Amino acid sequence: MKERYSNPYVIGVILGLVLLFSFYTMGRGLGSSASFARIATAGVNLVAPEHAKANAYLSNYLRRGKSPLVDWLVFLTMGAALGGLFSAFISNRIKGEVARGPFIGVSIRLWLALGGGILSGFAARMARGCTSGQALTGAAELAFGSWVFMLCIFAGAYATAYFFRKEWL
Amino acid sequence: MGPLYKFGWFDFSYSLQLAGLIGFMFGFVLERAGFGNPRKLTAIFYLRDFAVLKVMFTAIIVCMLGLLYFSLFGWIDLGRVYLLPTFIWPQIVGGLVLGIGFVMGGYCPTTSVVATVSGKLDGLVFIIGMMIGSVFFAEVFPMLKGFYTSGDMGAIRLTDVFNINSGIIAFLVCIVAVGAYWFVEKVEQKFGDKDMLPKGSPKVKRTAAGLLILLGLILAVVNPDRIIAKPATSEIQTEEGVEAVQKPAATSEKPDSTGFKIVDDEGC
Repeated sequence: MKERYSNPYVIGVILGLVLLFSFYTMGRGLGSSASFARIATAGVNLVAPEHAKANAYLSNYLRRGKSPLVDWLVFLTMGAALGGLFSAFISNRIKGEVARGPFIGVSIRLWLALGGGILSGFAARMARGCTSGQALTGAAELAFGSWVFMLCIFAGAYATAYFFRKEWL
Repeated sequence: MGPLYKFGWFDFSYSLQLAGLIGFMFGFVLERAGFGNPRKLTAIFYLRDFAVLKVMFTAIIVCMLGLLYFSLFGWIDLGRVYLLPTFIWPQIVGGLVLGIGFVMGGYCPTTSVVATVSGKLDGLVFIIGMMIGSVFFAEVFPMLKGFYTSGDMGAIRLTDVFNINSGIIAFLVCIVAVGAYWFVEKVEQKFGDKDMLPKGSPKVKRTAAGLLILLGLILAVVNPDRIIAKPATSEIQTEEGVEAVQKPAATSEKPDSTGFKIVDDEGC
C-alpha cells in the first residue's frame, strides 16, 4: 500500500483548469452521479418500460424519446473511466483487489461498499448532485447551496468516521 | 467569448465528444492524486492525509479565480454559465447522507469509477449501490417531492447571501484556503505517516500562498461585479431567458404532471 501519488496541490491546480475549461467551452461544470441514475433508468426502461415512464422521477430522464444515455454527463463519466484507466495503467496500478484496511474481511467490506453506494446514490439525487457536480462545480461559481452542501458532506463523514475506523485504519 | 457552446460554436454531438475529453482529463487527474484508493480518500476523516481537501479546495479556487478574471477580461459571459440553484434543506440532508456514504463506502461517485477501472471490486460494488440508491430515490420520490423542492432560494450565490461583491468573497476564500492549508498540514504532521505525505519546499508554498492572496486582493480592489456590464442579480435571472433562446426544444416541452423537471444542465 506504500504508493506515492502526485502532489495534491499540483493536481488541484490542474483539476481547477479542467473545470475552468469545461465552464469556458460548455458553460457548465463537471459531474457524474446523474450518469449512474441514467444508466439505472436505462436498465429499468429495458426491463419494465411502463414502470419507468410512470415514475415521476425516472420519466424525466426519458423525455424527448431519446435514450437516457445520450447525455453530456454520461459521456463525461465514460471519459473519466478511460482517463483513470490510462493513469492507472502508466503507473502500474491496475490490480484486481478489494481495497480495505488490514483488519477487515472481504465480504463485510463489500457489503459496506454496497451500503455506502446506496446512501450516496440516494443522497446525490436528493441534493441534485454529488461531490463533483454539486460541491466542486457549484463552489467554484460561489453558489450558496453548494458551499453548504460541501460543508455537510464533511460534517456527515467526520461525525460517523469513528464507526467505520476498523474498515480503513 | 465563452461559454463557446452557448454562443453556438459547436453542436450537441460535438459537445459529447468534448465531454469525453473533459472526462478523460478529470479521471486522469483523480487517479494521479491517488483517488482510486479508498484508504487514501478516507484518510482525511482520520486526520492522516488531507489530499482530498487540498485537491478540492485548490481546484475550486483556481476555477473561481479563472471565472472572475475571465469575466473581467470579457472572455466569458457568466450570465450564460449555468448556476446551480439552492434548495437548502435537501442539500443539507443530502450532504450529510453523502458524507456517511463516503466514509462507509470509501468513495464518492466519480472516484468509484476511477477505482473500478483500476481493478477494485469494491469500487464496482459501490457503483452498483449508487444505481440501486438512485432507483430507490425515484421509487419513493412521490413521498419526498415536498422535501425535495423545499428551501428553494433560487440560483443565489454567496455574494447575494452576504451582500458582498464577488471580488471580496474571492479574496476571503483565498485567505481561508491559505489558512486551511497551513492548519491541515500541521494536523497531518501530527497524525499522518510522514513517509507518505507529499514533500514540498516551504519556499514554493509561501510563494504560491502569496500569489493566491495577491490574485484575490486584486479582485477585491477591482470589483468584477462593477465592471461586468450586468450586475450580479440579473446575471442569475438571465439563465432562463438564455435557455429559451438557445434551446427552444427544451422549454417548449410541457411540464409533466408533477410540475418538476430536471433541467438539461443539471449538475452531477
